[in-house]
Parts: sequence; structure tokens; C-alpha cells
Amino acid sequence: MVEIMTNPPTLIIEAGRTERHYWTDLWRYRELFYFLAWRDVLVRYKQTVLGVAWAVIRPFLTMVVFTLVFGTLANLPSENAPYPILVFAALLPWQLFSSGFSEAGNSLISNANMISKVYFPRLIVPVSAIIVSLVDFMISAFILAALLVWYGFMPDLRILTLPLFVMMAVLTAMGAGFWTAALSVKYRDFRFIVPFGVQLGLYISPVGFSSAVVPEQWRMLYSLNPMVGVIDGFRWAILGGNVTLHWNGLILSLFVSTLLLSTGVMYFRKLENSFADVI
Amino acid sequence: MITASIELRQVEVVFPVYNAASLSLKNRLLSAVTGGKIDRQHDGAIIVKGLQDINIMINPGERVGLLGHNGAGKTTLLRVLSGIYQPTQGTAQINGECVSLINIGLGIDPEATGRENILLRGVMMGMRPSAIKAMSEEIIDFTGLGDFIDLPFRTYSTGMQLRLAFAVSTAVRPQILVMDEWLSTGDEEFKERADRRMTDVVSAAEILILASHSRELLLNNCNRLIWLEHGKIRMDGKPEEVLKQYFGH
Repeated sequence: MVEIMTNPPTLIIEAGRTERHYWTDLWRYRELFYFLAWRDVLVRYKQTVLGVAWAVIRPFLTMVVFTLVFGTLANLPSENAPYPILVFAALLPWQLFSSGFSEAGNSLISNANMISKVYFPRLIVPVSAIIVSLVDFMISAFILAALLVWYGFMPDLRILTLPLFVMMAVLTAMGAGFWTAALSVKYRDFRFIVPFGVQLGLYISPVGFSSAVVPEQWRMLYSLNPMVGVIDGFRWAILGGNVTLHWNGLILSLFVSTLLLSTGVMYFRKLENSFADVI
Repeated sequence: MITASIELRQVEVVFPVYNAASLSLKNRLLSAVTGGKIDRQHDGAIIVKGLQDINIMINPGERVGLLGHNGAGKTTLLRVLSGIYQPTQGTAQINGECVSLINIGLGIDPEATGRENILLRGVMMGMRPSAIKAMSEEIIDFTGLGDFIDLPFRTYSTGMQLRLAFAVSTAVRPQILVMDEWLSTGDEEFKERADRRMTDVVSAAEILILASHSRELLLNNCNRLIWLEHGKIRMDGKPEEVLKQYFGH
């Protein structure tokens, strides 16, 4: 007989299932994960007139406004790169993080009916929500390529390190997303907290300006925001030679985002069994 | 392929019942800041025992009916069998492919087309994508949706939506089938075909678990009945005997 079902032939459910069990389950349900992600991507732009173009328009217009406000009006330094490229190199990871974080945060609530009716490791839900943001990110990356061509700006070999920083942005979004996803099942207040936090974060993080404008003695404190490390890394990788990376800051940011992710997973796992009752 | 069987040992399920107040961050903060002086309810939750001391062994060939009044624990037991609830005590061992027809619309997305929804619904039931693709022509045929299959699900009439959900959900022949009442759908012509298909699925299953309030349904389909009361097994035995007690008391 052809294998039809993906679920395990034998399912043992007992009080206090072991940790190891959970991770093998996670692997076993990978197909459900692909399809949740596929569904989210599929449905995302279906009802909009401009469709996928939104993934291009939004960051592009934000970039124009930020360039005018921070570059032209406030006349902030640009690390010897064209200001639009400086801004866009930061907008890319910021949007990846902010949309991934908010989608993941809402994901449990918006899939509530599924969670109370079938078993699967719930971590699948917020992670698959982040995949959509990753697709958006790849589309927006084409704008960056276009900007580089337009300004005749040639990145050097450092650009090869970019995937590492993309990964760091995704992991940060996951960490923050796991926390808020679990918390928002318990406290519906997070529906208001998350958008507000994202809005503030955009100004706290060095998106419209280079983090070089932050006074040296404050740099470490500033790097407690993990997105500072991600954005600095993006700029370092894309803008090339002129940018120096604040290594200690990057390591601190990396540490904070790892901490966020590991505590996020733990907190999520702790509340996971109660999701079906509460939601 | 292994033979299907289900074994529940000393299963107990308790759950907290939350209300709006316990879900508020404000109350939680208020209670934390005041050192618990302003604490409306102790952690806000009332504990309910959904199931207690459940020991059941189900072998191949058994058609088990669950009956009991509302709130007796039928749905909770079905959820334990489908793996949604983790028992707070005891073990549930389920051998064999298990499919639940409790919620046949689960996984369907209104924005996706009928064809896409066949995949989504199938994956939600635990089927392999390649297996669903192989079956999808048969499923589309059965629904009789024609060209509608490539339109978004939300454009369908209620009857059409039901037909699609039904057709996908009954496309597999699982070893263990879990149902909450019988599935019936749509207009007369479709109802007849649907009933035949349901009967096929039910008779192909090695184990059937059916929760119902209908005496007739239980009598026609089951060879064993379990009567639940206040989360405990009140009686477990032959349909005629259990039904006599249940409707007689």
C-alpha cells in the first residue's frame, strides 16, 4: 500500500511528554508546516488589487520619506554611500523583522480554530507565519539591487556575509514572536502592544540614520536592541569598505537575540499545552 | 501495517476554565503590584475535571459508540483520542492511522480555490501531499463542482462548500475513524451519494468511535457502547443493554 498518511502509526500521549518527543514530532509535521506557509503566501496578496507589488511599494515609499527627512532635511551623515542605499540597507532587515514579529505574534489567535481541534506541535504556527515575511523580503531585495545599479554602487565581497545577518533577523523575529504569540493567547492586550512596539522600534533602531551618530559611550547600551546588530551588519555587508562594524555591539546584539529566542521557545513550550483550552 | 487498537489507561483530563477577567493583563499587573491584595480570583481559573479514571481497551472490529448528556465528557474523550488534549494523568496509546471527522471544514481557507483547498484540507487531516494529488481528480468528480473548482472557496454556495469539505474528508480510508454525530450534507441527490460514501468509509475502518445522541444511529452502527457521566464511565457494554439503561433511567 502507498503511504497515504503522514501521522505516526503509533501515537502515545501521556501526561508530561518528554522534550525529545516534541522535536521528533516537529519534524514529523513538517509537511503541515510547508502547507501553512504556502497557504499564508497564497492568500496574502490574493484580495489586493496590486498584489505582490505591495511588497515593493511599501518599502520603496518608506525609503523615499526617510531619505528626505533624515538625509535631506536633518542632513545626517551617510557613511559615504548614497543616502537611499543607506536607508534601504536598513529597511530591508527592519521590515523582515517587524512583519515577521507581528505575523508570528498574531498567528496563534488567527489560527485559533485549528489549534483547538487538531494536534500538532504549535511552534509550527508562528514559524510558518514568518515565512511569508521572508518571501516579502526577497521581493524587496530586488529594489536594493535596482538602487545599487542606479547609483552605480558596487558592494565588495562582504556582501557574501549577508545571509548570516538575514538569519539573525529571522531568529530575532522568531524569539520575539514566540514570546508575544504565547502571551497574546493568555493576555489579549498584546493585540495593542505589538503594533505600538513595532512603531516605536522603527525610530529606536537605526533605520533612518546610521548608528555612527550614536555617541561612542552609548553604543553598547544601544546594542541591547538586537536589531541594532542586525541593521549594522546589513550596512556593513552592503555598503562595503567605508563602514566599520562595532564588533562588541554586534556580539551583544547577537547575545540578546539568542537569549530572546531560547527563552521564547521555553515560554512557548511552557504554555503550549494550555493553548487549546484558553484560545 | 500494524493492527489498529486503542488503549487508555487511567486517563484523567482537567482543565482550567478562563474568563475574561483572568485573561486581562491589567488584573495580573494589579495583583502583582499590590502583592496579591487586589486579586479578584485566585489566578482567575476554575478547575474542571473533564475526564476521570478512564480505562478503555478497543480492539479491531469494534464499533464504539459514546453516549452521555451534554457535558458528560464525550467531546473531551474524542479530543484525547485525536491527540488534541494531553491527559493530565495516565496514558493514551493509539495504534494505527487515525482520522477525525469531527470538523470537516478544518484547514479550508476561504480565499484559496477549491483545488488548493483540497490540498490544504488533506494535509490538515494528515495526508501526504502526493497522495492527495493522486486522489484529487476523484474528489473533484465527486463534488460535482465542475469549473467552480478553480474559483475561490468563498464564492461557493453553502451547499457547495459542504460538498467540497465532505468529499475531501471522506477520501481516505483510515484504520481508526473518529466522528461526532453522522455527517449529512446538502440536497437529496448528493445526500444519497454522500451516505453511500460515508458507509464505505465507516465499514472500511477497523475501529469506529462515534459520539451521538441518536439511539437509532448508535444501534445501527455500533457493537459496543460507552456511557459517560460526569467525566466517568458509567457503563460499558452491548448496545441493547446500555441503551435500555440509558433511555430507561
